[in-house]
Amino acid sequence: MDKMTYCNDLMARLEELFFHELSDCAGWKTEFIGVDFIQSKNIEGTNCEEVIRSCLKEIIAAGLAEDVSFAVAGKDILLCLKIKGCIHMGKETRLKERGIKVYNCIIANMIHDQLIEKLGYETAYIADIDVDEAAGQCILKCAIYETAEKIGCVSDWSEECRWIDENNKWITLTA
Amino acid sequence: MADILEVISSRKSIRRFNSDPVPEEMIDKILEAARWAPTGENYQPWRFIVVRDQETRNKIGDLAKVGSGSRMTAWYCMGHLQKRFEGIKDPVKRARVLRFMYSGEVSEFAKAAPVVIAVLGTLTVGSVDVPYDLSAAVENILLEAHSLGLGGCWVHGPVASSRDAIKFKKILDIPTEMSAYKVIAYVAIGWALEQRKYPRPKIPLEELVYYEKFGKKDKQ
Repeated sequence: MDKMTYCNDLMARLEELFFHELSDCAGWKTEFIGVDFIQSKNIEGTNCEEVIRSCLKEIIAAGLAEDVSFAVAGKDILLCLKIKGCIHMGKETRLKERGIKVYNCIIANMIHDQLIEKLGYETAYIADIDVDEAAGQCILKCAIYETAEKIGCVSDWSEECRWIDENNKWITLTA
Repeated sequence: MADILEVISSRKSIRRFNSDPVPEEMIDKILEAARWAPTGENYQPWRFIVVRDQETRNKIGDLAKVGSGSRMTAWYCMGHLQKRFEGIKDPVKRARVLRFMYSGEVSEFAKAAPVVIAVLGTLTVGSVDVPYDLSAAVENILLEAHSLGLGGCWVHGPVASSRDAIKFKKILDIPTEMSAYKVIAYVAIGWALEQRKYPRPKIPLEELVYYEKFGKKDKQ
């Protein structure tokens, strides 16, 4: 067993236990996991895209993921992420095997933290994590709220995702 | 001993209050009820903060609104919230209810409740049951308030996420270290503006209870 597998197995057990204690609100309690890494970096940017790019550069440079694409849509609330080659994929796979809906993405936590800390975003929330272990990729839908007034600005995210794909709005950073 | 099933079964969550003040003696009684909740090894880890100040309640209400609204906006955008309320057949009413939820207004009512009781637990006395003890105390608060003719609602929204829990602690000057206190909820209390004799439908016991072993519904 390599060190990363060992580490992911430990984390999977922790998240499994956490889910068992808290059920579907477990993910609401894990948003600080990963922030120590990103807060140790000099993340810069004056808008959402710049901050996300800056985060992803550090994440990829550290080898935490190989290839990350992002897009913002849905009245600037929907942040879509496609994360390939994440070193925590083993954790997500373990959880999925055990019938637990994956709820904690460390990379999304890092991005949310910096949107809040650097740009003063009101709040952010990981709404959905779709793990495709065959493709070695996770696809996330996150809600990012620049201000409290953005709460309640709704749209159809399946339509928004289609729009992102059809208009090739993905911004991709690779190792 | 009196059977309190009528008190228990007639209680419902009240989110709309009139502005009449709640007498101090009633709050004292409610807190006394909380103090008598069951607690593992009698640790009594609960602490309560009674908030009447309007400005503080506004801050709590805003935090709760953002907390609930941020999640429910996303659930609506993904279609989950609509499924939850598809039982409401009137489309106008359904749209109104959905907007009430995803806007976060559903959790904003600390602003209108004359009293808010924050329920927190110390993590430093050795108790191994903090969230469970606190939950029992919240239930006692709700039942005592109801028995006094008051309405109340248990609200997890503003402390549901770790980041929001810190914001909540800062509003009330609670130490923010994870090792010190855990806030599990606040309870809004006041005189009800809405009246419903009995709460929402409950799942029948036959669907909830097994006998002797999991899955065995037969009493014999």
